[in-house]
Amino acid sequence: MSKPNILQTVAAVAACKATRTGLRLAKKGGTALPGKAARVFAKNILEVTSEGMEIIVVTGTNGKTTTCRMLEHALTSSGRECLSNKSGANLLSGVTAEITCNATITGRPKTHYAVIECDEGALRHVVPLIHPKVIVVTNLFRDQLDRYGEITHTLNAIREGISKVPDAVLCLNADESLTASLAQDMPNKVLWYGIDTPVGEQKDAEISDAKYCIRCGNEYQYEYHTYAHLGGFFCPSCGYKRAKPDVAVTDFVHMGPRGTDVRMRLPEGGAKEGGTESAKAPAGKEQEVHIALPAVYNTYNAAAAICAYSAFGLPREEILSSLANVHSSFGRMETFRPGKCDVQMILVKNPAGCNQALSYLADMEETFDAVFCLNDRTADGHDISWIWDADYEKVCGCGRLRHIYVSGDRAEDMQLRLKYAGAKEESVTLIKDNAKLLEIMKASDVPVFVLPNYTSMLALRDVLAQATGTQAFWKG
Amino acid sequence: MDLKICHLYPEVLNLYGDRGNIRCLENRLKWRGIDCTVTGVGIGSGESLKDYDLFFIGGGQDFEQEVLLEDLKRGMGNEIRSAAEDGKTFLCICGGYQMMGHYYQTHDGVKCEFLGIVDFYTEGSKTRMIGNYAFRLGEESGASTVVGFENHSGKTWLGSGVKPLGTVIKGFGNNGEDKTEGVRFRNIFGSYSHGPILPKNPELCDFILKTALERKYGSAELLPLSDGFETLAHESVLSRIVSA
Repeated sequence: MSKPNILQTVAAVAACKATRTGLRLAKKGGTALPGKAARVFAKNILEVTSEGMEIIVVTGTNGKTTTCRMLEHALTSSGRECLSNKSGANLLSGVTAEITCNATITGRPKTHYAVIECDEGALRHVVPLIHPKVIVVTNLFRDQLDRYGEITHTLNAIREGISKVPDAVLCLNADESLTASLAQDMPNKVLWYGIDTPVGEQKDAEISDAKYCIRCGNEYQYEYHTYAHLGGFFCPSCGYKRAKPDVAVTDFVHMGPRGTDVRMRLPEGGAKEGGTESAKAPAGKEQEVHIALPAVYNTYNAAAAICAYSAFGLPREEILSSLANVHSSFGRMETFRPGKCDVQMILVKNPAGCNQALSYLADMEETFDAVFCLNDRTADGHDISWIWDADYEKVCGCGRLRHIYVSGDRAEDMQLRLKYAGAKEESVTLIKDNAKLLEIMKASDVPVFVLPNYTSMLALRDVLAQATGTQAFWKG
Repeated sequence: MDLKICHLYPEVLNLYGDRGNIRCLENRLKWRGIDCTVTGVGIGSGESLKDYDLFFIGGGQDFEQEVLLEDLKRGMGNEIRSAAEDGKTFLCICGGYQMMGHYYQTHDGVKCEFLGIVDFYTEGSKTRMIGNYAFRLGEESGASTVVGFENHSGKTWLGSGVKPLGTVIKGFGNNGEDKTEGVRFRNIFGSYSHGPILPKNPELCDFILKTALERKYGSAELLPLSDGFETLAHESVLSRIVSA
């Protein structure tokens, strides 16, 4: 790939900025189009506009946005300026837009640090241009199979991306057998994070995205489970097993709706050499950490963020203290108060994430209403059959769920799914009009939990944000 | 009356919400007061299948297929063949459907031998056939309309003596060329439709249940159920498919 010359660079940066300004004047988010405009003039403009920056890239199925949010919050609250693609535009055009709009007209970056969320499929196009210092891979679950194909295809796409940047330090989830396999045969330094202790009900998931060993095909066994297929896995046949994490949650002190207190073992030094070699326990110290976002998956996100911050070479105290007051990012456990009661929005895009959100609801101690929104547009994936792989049964049967509203292009499918999950037909109402949904949320005398998928979240969040004076998503 | 349902290889053949089909079969029997049991028969069980009345085989991911083919060779293949020849009822989806044919040949020529219980074969193509689709069932399968979601790169070609499950209204079906979708042979119902296929298509579900009950008890009448949510889900997707 050839780097653009100065004329191409100036034209590309100008096109990027002009397009974004135009879109914003038209009150549009403009998250990807400016990047496309820039690339018309210089295909690899991103390589110029990111040159010299120190960048963390986060990829994986679930937790990308929240992990980025945690990292960005740590950087900014310790007084460092930092760029990030907050809007969730995480393909090459979106990343190009974010970084190029922030460059000078001659293409020099105005900000030194960036935290970039990157789509799993786009990683191989993005990282060779921005040369990240650290790459975090959160986890792999079945997600939009109609778009990505099989889960192993996604894994291979990530591997291809990493192979183009051998100098980047990898932060990998030790508890997730697919992600962990990325350490194999890679020259990159690896730092591991994970949870050393079981969480919640201990049983094998009915549906596992990784039941058989990625190396030899034999069935994994587990010393313990955390959620879905994550936990202390090992293959009795070939010996592939969970690596001992450098950043590890060793105990859950308290889990509540406002956050989680954990004990963590943290490394003394930086990243170590080599791939899966990790039998030797890193001689770390233990420390209590408060994470201001609830649920197990956010504990993983926090561990990933701490791991990445350490790998980035910045003082760990900064992220540890900032996690205690981190806020959720748009649509991810974001709370609104349009009327008397809280409305909490939890984005769900695939069975693994959805099950985590449903467990969170099932653990509520008070009565609540729920809104399930399902669209099937391109950004969501056209195949909505995954709702049958998520365990709506656990929330429909929990006794504190008072009424359910279904919405979105495929509300009728969701309604039928809930009938099978045990919801009584009279306790489910189908409402496709977001304005009407807002009225119901305003009038509600119990908390409302909204579980939308991607495009239905954007639409409903817009309505809620307008009603409550919250910022537009691209300002986040 | 009761039915013994066997879910074959639930640990690997469980893509795209296919377990919703099991829930549907189970519930539409229970809602009518008919007993049923569902048993998962996994890889390495070596179990006999002769006591089951109704079989469900779903779709899976390619990389797990090898484990499964070995198990078929170790004897499960013959168990399935005997049950099929005995007139037992089968619902086979996507990969489970392809498995009932002679073979799958990838587009670069690698041939994978399957059970050959039904006369058809599948050839890989470079393009995937993906999307919501609709087809009309043949008279011998109840002649209702089915909506679903297909996602396959294999093109299936039926032998001359074998009937399709239905005729494509919109979408690709078996191969995107001859308008056939799925297969209907003896009491085997094969289809590419995920979705899952049964909850939104209650008439097909009832037809399959009736087939299994008649095989076991000689005759069976199924009481009507209130299918309000089912009909809404069916019709809303159908109108999107037809107008797309």
